Amino acid sequence: MHFLSYILRQTGKNLRQTWGTQLLTLLTVTLSVLLFAFFFLIYTNMLNAGKRLGDEVRLIVYLDQEITEQMRPELEKKIGDFGPVDKIVFVSRNEAFARMSAQLGQEKDVLNDLDPDFLPPSIEVYPLKNLKDLSKISQFSDFLLTLPHATKVQSGSDWLRRFGHFTNLLRVVVFLSGSLLIISMTFIVSYTLRLTVLSRQSELEILKLLGATRAYIRLPLLLEGMLQGFLGSSFGLAALYLLYQSIDSHFSNPGFLKLFDFAFFPAEITAAILLASIVLCTAGSLFSIRRFIRI
Amino acid sequence: MPKDAITNEPLIEMVNVTKIYPPDVAALQDISLRIYKGEILFLTGMSGAGKTTLIKLACCLETPTSGRIDVAGRDLSLISPAGIQRMRQKIGVAYQDFRLLDKQTVFQNISMAMEVTYASTKAIRERVEELLTMLNLSDKRDKLTGDLSRGEQQRVALARAAANRPSLLLADEPTGNLDLTTTKLVINLFRHLNEEHGSTIVVATHDESIYAETEHRVVALSNGHLSDHPRRTPQQGELFEA
Ligand SMILES: Nc1ncnc2c1ncn2[C@@H]1O[C@H](COP(=O)(O)OP(=O)(O)OP(=O)(O)O)[C@@H](O)[C@H]1O
Ligand SMILES: [Mg+2]
Repeated sequence: MHFLSYILRQTGKNLRQTWGTQLLTLLTVTLSVLLFAFFFLIYTNMLNAGKRLGDEVRLIVYLDQEITEQMRPELEKKIGDFGPVDKIVFVSRNEAFARMSAQLGQEKDVLNDLDPDFLPPSIEVYPLKNLKDLSKISQFSDFLLTLPHATKVQSGSDWLRRFGHFTNLLRVVVFLSGSLLIISMTFIVSYTLRLTVLSRQSELEILKLLGATRAYIRLPLLLEGMLQGFLGSSFGLAALYLLYQSIDSHFSNPGFLKLFDFAFFPAEITAAILLASIVLCTAGSLFSIRRFIRI
Repeated sequence: MPKDAITNEPLIEMVNVTKIYPPDVAALQDISLRIYKGEILFLTGMSGAGKTTLIKLACCLETPTSGRIDVAGRDLSLISPAGIQRMRQKIGVAYQDFRLLDKQTVFQNISMAMEVTYASTKAIRERVEELLTMLNLSDKRDKLTGDLSRGEQQRVALARAAANRPSLLLADEPTGNLDLTTTKLVINLFRHLNEEHGSTIVVATHDESIYAETEHRVVALSNGHLSDHPRRTPQQGELFEA
């Protein structure tokens, strides 16, 4: 069967006839994939970093009075009722003092003159959470302040909140660049295809008279869209990978990137972006085919 | 051609076919005509008689206003678009206005007809060369058809129609721009197709020289009506000499 070779040859013919526009389209598709994938890569890495940081979030409730063994279950229940908690640690004045001297290590002499009772007792609450619950953290902290004898709640979530805002902003950017991607792919591919169809209008008419089947006329055009999607996203992702590699090698010493363990997309995401681009570009060409071809 | 090659099976059967172009041009009126498999038929008539219209109806380029057309036993009005395309691969049409692609070469124009049937490159090359030789166009193989003379374009159109060795060849005014010698080449092509491949051939023409002496059936159209042409006694016509 020479079917496939014919379809491919027709596709090649189409591409050659409008190669200038084809290249521009490819460039547009490549750039929009690059743009989207760039923001998406940062976003996913931020999410991962946030998750890891979020695991270490704890709320410290400083108290003006020691908590006795008998009071603990009631407090634990009260806190647990408000929100899911990983664990609750009660820290007495003595324990706080011991911790501090352990932290100071050799410098612990400075504590010698101090009353071991000078540090307040506290409750450390480790909530079950991830970054998305950041607003819950502040609610939680407000709640903890209402506990009896609580004087101050330190959530350390201030900068986490800022981090969260940034991630939210990034999500908007990802969303926008994703929309741009969808628009540019479907519209531009379908526009290019329209040019192909127009430039071959008389030929398509003749082909119809000669008995060309729907597949003979339409498949090459569909393939053209698929090819744009495949090549465009491959180039876009390859460009991003190169960019990532060069950044990664420049900042390979312990620093920001190591802290966040900046990573490229896993294979599934790469495949998904590739596939989505192919689907979108094919949809764009399908749109043009249905509108401009009557066979 | 030997008369006994004609079967009694009609390839095209038109029953009470009327074609009215909008608003009210009656190109064909109440035409009933049978064209048999393996037949060579001349369709004659003055300019405007409706010859082209009849050919367009037979290849589904136009639909009849009323009446029925069967091709190979199938009612054309009931065939799906895909079915029509498949049918067109087996019908070669040489249009009166040629319908060639001016910016493509002679070879490309002819091979296009075979490409849509997914023929192999080798088969296409061989067949096109063969046709070009038969029609004395070999030296024009790689010329753009737009640069050819009318007579040359006419032969390219014929070659394209004959490329797939169609079971039905519809030739609309195939010799209008040709001299006698070249006309003979065209007639030879028809005869070859008819004898070697059993093709049915319908030639619409007002060139009396090509049907005057023929032993084949001649039907005449005038003002959209079919009128029986007086049958001539079979003679060894000048153009059909073996
Ligand atoms: N598309 C059309 N729209 C309106 N009228 C048409 C159309 N095509 C043909 N006609 C008219 O139908 C009649 C028959 O035309 P047709 O082309 O079939 O004649 P013909 O026998 O092929 O003539 P010729 O020998 O000049 O080619 C003519 O009067 C013509 O003007
Ligand atoms: Mg005509």
